[in-house]
Amino acid sequence: MGRKILLVEDDRETASYLAKGLTQEGHSVEQATNGQDGLFRATDASFDLIILDRMLPVLDGISVLRALRAAHIETPVLILSALASVGDRIEGLECGSDDYLVKPFSFAELLARVNALLRRRESRVGPTDHRLTVGDLEIDPLSRSVKRAGKKLDLKPREYLLLEYFARNEGRVVTRTMLLEQVWDYHFDPGTNVIDVHVSRLRRKLDEGFEKPLLHTVRGAGYMLAA
Amino acid sequence: MPTTLRIALLAGLLALLSNLAVIGFIYGRTHDEAVASLHRQVVEQAKVLTDVYRTGGWPALDEAIGDTLAYADPQTAVALIDSSGHEIEGNLAQAPALQSMQEGYRSAVVRLQGQPSPHQAEIQLSRLPGGLWLISGRLVGEGLAFRATLERSLLLALVVAGLLGLLCGVILAHYVARRIGNIAAVANRISARDLSQRVPLSGAGDSFDRLGMQVNAMLDRISRLMEELRLLTDTLAHDLRSPASRLRAAAQAAAESDDPAEQEELLNSVVRNADALIRILSTVLEISRSEALTGRNQFSWFDVSELGAELAEMYDPLAEERGAALRFDRPKRPVPLFGHRQLLAQAISNLVENAIRYGSTGGEIDVRVRPGDKQIRIEVADRGPGIPLERRQEALKRFGRLDSSRSDDGAGLGLALAQAIAHLHEGELLLEDNQPGLLIVMQLPVHPPQRSR
Repeated sequence: MGRKILLVEDDRETASYLAKGLTQEGHSVEQATNGQDGLFRATDASFDLIILDRMLPVLDGISVLRALRAAHIETPVLILSALASVGDRIEGLECGSDDYLVKPFSFAELLARVNALLRRRESRVGPTDHRLTVGDLEIDPLSRSVKRAGKKLDLKPREYLLLEYFARNEGRVVTRTMLLEQVWDYHFDPGTNVIDVHVSRLRRKLDEGFEKPLLHTVRGAGYMLAA
Repeated sequence: MPTTLRIALLAGLLALLSNLAVIGFIYGRTHDEAVASLHRQVVEQAKVLTDVYRTGGWPALDEAIGDTLAYADPQTAVALIDSSGHEIEGNLAQAPALQSMQEGYRSAVVRLQGQPSPHQAEIQLSRLPGGLWLISGRLVGEGLAFRATLERSLLLALVVAGLLGLLCGVILAHYVARRIGNIAAVANRISARDLSQRVPLSGAGDSFDRLGMQVNAMLDRISRLMEELRLLTDTLAHDLRSPASRLRAAAQAAAESDDPAEQEELLNSVVRNADALIRILSTVLEISRSEALTGRNQFSWFDVSELGAELAEMYDPLAEERGAALRFDRPKRPVPLFGHRQLLAQAISNLVENAIRYGSTGGEIDVRVRPGDKQIRIEVADRGPGIPLERRQEALKRFGRLDSSRSDDGAGLGLALAQAIAHLHEGELLLEDNQPGLLIVMQLPVHPPQRSR
């Protein structure tokens, strides 16, 4: 199920590397190399996602984003930037972007975020069934109760949020940084494996005693919840 | 126009203006004085003569007028006029017409006997019994003659004052130029890259000394910053060398290896070392940002105790894994603070990570938020080995990790970043003794700092 993605990036090497990777994933990628061209294309055609470099010639990424939002174009936008400080990230997110990825990044990290954004767009227009199920796992977001194979799991509040985020991204890779940003709402790099410790705790409660594990480690990328 | 000349001219001009004001005042006063005294003399003389007539009658008056004309100065004008308009006695060349006569004091133009032209005069007209008129007065022009002398003197004074002012200005300008010149000379030598220069102080404690002291204090701070920067650049270059060389070694080994499993292992090591490099660079950037006070526009009100609870919960499993119990004392009430929530979260997490890394052997780690009237204390205490007093300052420096091996994955920037974030909030990071163990306190003022940029 390929999607239309607009890639606005002035660095040729990065652009061709990203375009190649995204095309291999089945998406169709249109490219722009400066902000003005990017803004023109974004307003002209309908895309499922815009990947926008922050520092662009002619018109910078933040200005492009502001212009888009001012024109009520609500296409999800993922900002790529070499501006890595916490303040820069907050500023980027406050300008109306849906995600902010700091350069350098691994392609796996980018792909995970692209997929999460595309999924969010899908579920926004899709039917609103509150109950989430992954295999024999059932999650009720209203009562925040979780059952596996009919047996109730006793989760702490943060563990529940972690699991719900995994479930909403069922079958897709979720990276450590995504978890830190989305589940904890922190935008810094912890110097320890604190996220992994939380995931392994959740995994013990979720998978221990069951034959088939649901929470998988994806090497070099992150984690995935899948039946 | 050189400054010296400008100051001299300004001083001269000021002297001229102030003297002009004084002279104008003196001139005005003497004029008023002269007019008043003339009036007194005229009225007095008229009074004397009428009194003489009233007490001694005609013969006495006749004699008195004769005396007045004989002994008084040449400005005096006296005349006695009968009812038909004839001058009986006096020194007026021509008597005024009777019809215009009216009692009282006034100005008039009169011509004295023996004089070629009429003069301005102040006169008093008095009617005497028997239809006689007495004119008694003084000429004005000659009476105020001394004023001409006065005016000349004043004008001369003005010129002298102007010249003196100019001279004072030149002296003053030279003095200022000399004092400023000292400071300028130091600035020049500093521009020529000698930062050790300081402005010499005269010891008088005047404004020039204060300026000099401020310039010196500024130079001290610049020197310190330069030294810090130099040290930082050195250590940064040094600390980046080890992950960079590990990265290079792993990459080269991977390129030369034939075993796919080994190759993958080595490439993972390449990525890990690259990540370590990037993390060091981002943290150094974050420290400089905070020390430069950028990010205050992202300040907002939030509850510090809520943040503390959140982070304690986040790090609890990690501490447990390392064999320590992490406790959080939550204050009974919210502790509002105006600050950068994300950066403070990072600072606190650095402190907690530091405690877990170096202090978890002590078995317990305490995180506390202590509200106060003026300051909020965020405390992270462990029961580990602690840091001896003399090495605490070093621990706060960038790359100031205390174990010399530098084999640990922490780059020694955590505390330096926490300190920079404390500075961003106009606060301080204090290292104290937990007896035993280390107590790190982030002390932040309650009042919001002034927004900048």
